[in-house]
Amino acid sequence: MKDKDYSRLFAEFEGVEADLIPVLVRIQERDGYISEEAVRRVSRFLRLSENQIYGVASFYPKFRFTEPGKKSIKVCMGTACHVRGGLFLSEAVGWQLGVGIGQTTADKRFDFQRAGCLGCCTLAPVVMVNEDVHSRMSVIRLKEILEKDD
Amino acid sequence: MKKKNGAVTITMDNQTYQVAPGITILEAAQQNNIEIPTLCAHKDLTPYGGCRMCIVEVEGMRNLPTACTTPISDGMIIRTNTAQVQSVRMEILQLFLSEHTSSCLICEDKDRCREYMGTIRKVGVTTGCRYCSNDGQCELQDVVEKMEVKEIKYPIYYRNLRVEKEDPFYERNYNLCVLCGRCVRMCQEVRVAHVLAFNHRGRETVIGPAYGRTHIEAGCEFCGACVSVCPTGSLTEKARAYEGKPDREELTTCSFCGVGCQMRLLVKGDRIIGSLPADDAPVNGGQLCVKGRFCITELVSGPKRLLRPYRYFDGTEAEVTREAAIATAAEKLSDCAPDEFGMLVSPNCTNEDLYVAQKFARAVMNSHNVDTSARSYYGRGFNAYLDLMRKAAPLSAVREASVILCVGLDTRFGRSVVGVELRRAVRRGARIITINPREHNLTLIAEDWIQTIPGQKTEALHKLVELTGKGASGARKGPRGVSKELVHAAETLAKAESAVILVGSEFLQYDSSAEILESVRQLAQNTGAGVLPLPAQNNLYGSLMMGAYPELIPGGHAAASTKAYGALKKAWGLKGKTVSGGFNAASLGSGKKLKVLYLVGENCPVPAGEAADFIIYQNIYPPGERFHADLVLPAAAFTESDGTFINGEGRVQRVRRAVEPPGDALPDWQILCLIARKMGVEGFDFANVESIHREMAGLVDGFKSFKKPARKPQAYRSTVALDVPAGKLPPAGQVNQKYPFMLSASITEHSHRGFSLSDWVEGTKPLFAEERLSISPADARKARISDGDEVIVTSRGFERVWPARIRPEQAEGTLHVTLYQAQAVNPNPHPVKMRKKNV
Ligand code: SF4
Ligand code: SF4
Ligand code: SF4
Ligand code: FES
Ligand code: FES
Repeated sequence: MKDKDYSRLFAEFEGVEADLIPVLVRIQERDGYISEEAVRRVSRFLRLSENQIYGVASFYPKFRFTEPGKKSIKVCMGTACHVRGGLFLSEAVGWQLGVGIGQTTADKRFDFQRAGCLGCCTLAPVVMVNEDVHSRMSVIRLKEILEKDD
Repeated sequence: MKKKNGAVTITMDNQTYQVAPGITILEAAQQNNIEIPTLCAHKDLTPYGGCRMCIVEVEGMRNLPTACTTPISDGMIIRTNTAQVQSVRMEILQLFLSEHTSSCLICEDKDRCREYMGTIRKVGVTTGCRYCSNDGQCELQDVVEKMEVKEIKYPIYYRNLRVEKEDPFYERNYNLCVLCGRCVRMCQEVRVAHVLAFNHRGRETVIGPAYGRTHIEAGCEFCGACVSVCPTGSLTEKARAYEGKPDREELTTCSFCGVGCQMRLLVKGDRIIGSLPADDAPVNGGQLCVKGRFCITELVSGPKRLLRPYRYFDGTEAEVTREAAIATAAEKLSDCAPDEFGMLVSPNCTNEDLYVAQKFARAVMNSHNVDTSARSYYGRGFNAYLDLMRKAAPLSAVREASVILCVGLDTRFGRSVVGVELRRAVRRGARIITINPREHNLTLIAEDWIQTIPGQKTEALHKLVELTGKGASGARKGPRGVSKELVHAAETLAKAESAVILVGSEFLQYDSSAEILESVRQLAQNTGAGVLPLPAQNNLYGSLMMGAYPELIPGGHAAASTKAYGALKKAWGLKGKTVSGGFNAASLGSGKKLKVLYLVGENCPVPAGEAADFIIYQNIYPPGERFHADLVLPAAAFTESDGTFINGEGRVQRVRRAVEPPGDALPDWQILCLIARKMGVEGFDFANVESIHREMAGLVDGFKSFKKPARKPQAYRSTVALDVPAGKLPPAGQVNQKYPFMLSASITEHSHRGFSLSDWVEGTKPLFAEERLSISPADARKARISDGDEVIVTSRGFERVWPARIRPEQAEGTLHVTLYQAQAVNPNPHPVKMRKKNV
């Protein structure tokens, strides 16, 4: 992002502390996540330290701090899924992709998230890939999904 | 009971009390010696109500309110210790403990264990477990004890967070954290540094900077204020871990800069184990910077401290007794003519040391050849700097000013207590303008940042003077070549109700420092602003008043004045003529070689062979690799001697001996007296510091009582000008194709007794980053230089190699380096080229 992309975005705001959340929302809409660069820019704009901004932003699960991958893998960690092996699935995703929770693979193909109950407990364990829910997941099926070409 | 004015009546645990209105239940309880357990409440922080340990019952209130956040009201009936309160508290505490890995807290053998900790064995160890570095000083431990917890009923949930040890001075083990938020509040509310925040939420909540950065990266000042308030062992000072409680404390004055913070030295046995800010001193208001808070222990108890005198000849060092060393010094000095003698004494010494040192030069050696390293530090700008000291406003001016202009000031590590005041000033609506070539810790709070470009736009101050001068109003709307910020800053300053100008270290070593400081003076005159020169040397003022310069004698009088010097000679009972040999710290090594150079807490600024035939070096550390001194005498550190300092505002403050000097070390004045007496000179039989002080009091204003020094600030009054290099310097030139970068250099402001604090305090190395070349990321990329690479910097007649330090705040096309004293880049700033070594 260039200087002018930020100045255009900031022009919509007054530059007071109360703008913090709305500014972050706009940035996430634009970039898909809140980059370190963005936090630095917002810090100069709103005169808040980067640590303050991160503290506030990280409180809200809706903000993400890593660039989203092409496919977003969300493993459900709700109670039902947990009981039926959610944790194991989540570890499998980690091994397969070589990234931790909240991270994105180097080739930007996948990012890996965990989620609270996704609302389809009878189908547990559940993994979501972008907007598609994959129910009754197993490690083998998971591998297939991850290896499938787009 | 008679009702006090405005007081309200409350009932607490069936007793009625009269208390001031507006206070909290907790405060009311504390005032009346009723104990309520607390974890997150702290006297210096706003109530937070996070831990819920302090819950009480209040009649008419549902639930159990927290005492620390609930204000009292008239007729309130409070019960602090009912069965219900106790059981809820216990429940909360149990939850804390289930996340707190602390077997010691509930160990069955706790009491017996303490009793038998020290066992008789051949090695000096104690038995018993020590799982926490904070053992014995933990507030959670206290609460557990008071509430008589015997077991933890919930399963232990260990968060298994990595212990963060990567930053200097303190480490962080958030497995022990109770999320009381004291550190966060301290960093945000009091220090206003905003390094710490609560990150994430719920069970995942951790405290720290953004993106899990280190504290160095996150802009932490390492003031240690967060460590001081942490009730548990999660934040631990590395040097003090496992030390336990100090035996006693000693109040003293910091000796690392001219702010002169008041502090408590923590003493255990015969060692200093730490230092904490004194509560509510007018100078520093309960705060310190990294130097005062974390550097003292390591500096004064380093393993390389000088313990015994030694002589150096034929390439070897030979230890000698103190008597022999004094005899050698006396012999060499007896043999030395007044104009062959020179003395450099540190402006970090106490007034009493400085007084005796210059008396030694004048009365024993009959010579005015005494000087301090401040001469090279301030260089061409020394007189202009003294001019500012004559106008000095007290530090409290920052608390009242509506506009504050900072000239070359960066308060991250040096003078950070002033930075705290600046950020507080912003909160109460003051406006800050900062002039600096780099983005620094004040740019975020400043309304205007006037970025100077070394060698090109340093005349910003000059422009401000013009813009605020008489008859400038017409030209104000954007004269040519003047930036928006400058015009705005000039307007802000001109309209300010009360303005102050703070002077930092950035421009002091520029060739044009005299002009820059003169502009500050004029600007202050134009706008009616007060000036705070904030000297880097803790006792610069004292060194001037004590006469530790060839041009000055005690009282700040001119050495050249027959009347003043005559009076001094009379007071001292001197007969002969005192010779002035044209000596000073800046000219050392260039004129005639001295016979004896006596360094009292100073380093030799030029190669030893060029300076003198015989060098006496008296300090707390050996000269190290820099040079060989012929005779080395161990001196006491400021924690080991009594005396007074005068801070930058002219306040006389006490320094107190907290521990005995190690080995053969003695305070500087005592060594000087021993040598003088050995040489058979009278007037050096002071029994103690107080007797020196008494003699000084007759000669210097403001030194009446040693026990109760003058607490009031007092601007510098001597009108004597010092002999500084004048005349036009060769122009530094502009950047061109051959030399495309402008290099500026400063001398480290973190020096103490002739060396940099980073020489002896390891943790400050990454912070002060001396001898490292700051390069902008863009320039580094172009030159294929990465962090830490050796870089060769060349100009006409100059070549140096420094490791690279890539800094986003460095402007493109400029380079900066901080050097140890007396190796400054000349001219400064000037155009250079650079390349990576080995390519
Ligand atoms: S040391 Fe000071 S600046 Fe750093 S985190 Fe602690 S309180 Fe904040
Ligand atoms: S680190 Fe210490 S002060 Fe900070 S929240 Fe945790 S326990 Fe409290
Ligand atoms: S600001 Fe100066 S006087 Fe205060 S602690 Fe730091 S170095 Fe010492
Ligand atoms: S627990 Fe996974 S969908 Fe409900
Ligand atoms: S002390 Fe009152 S809630 Fe922590």
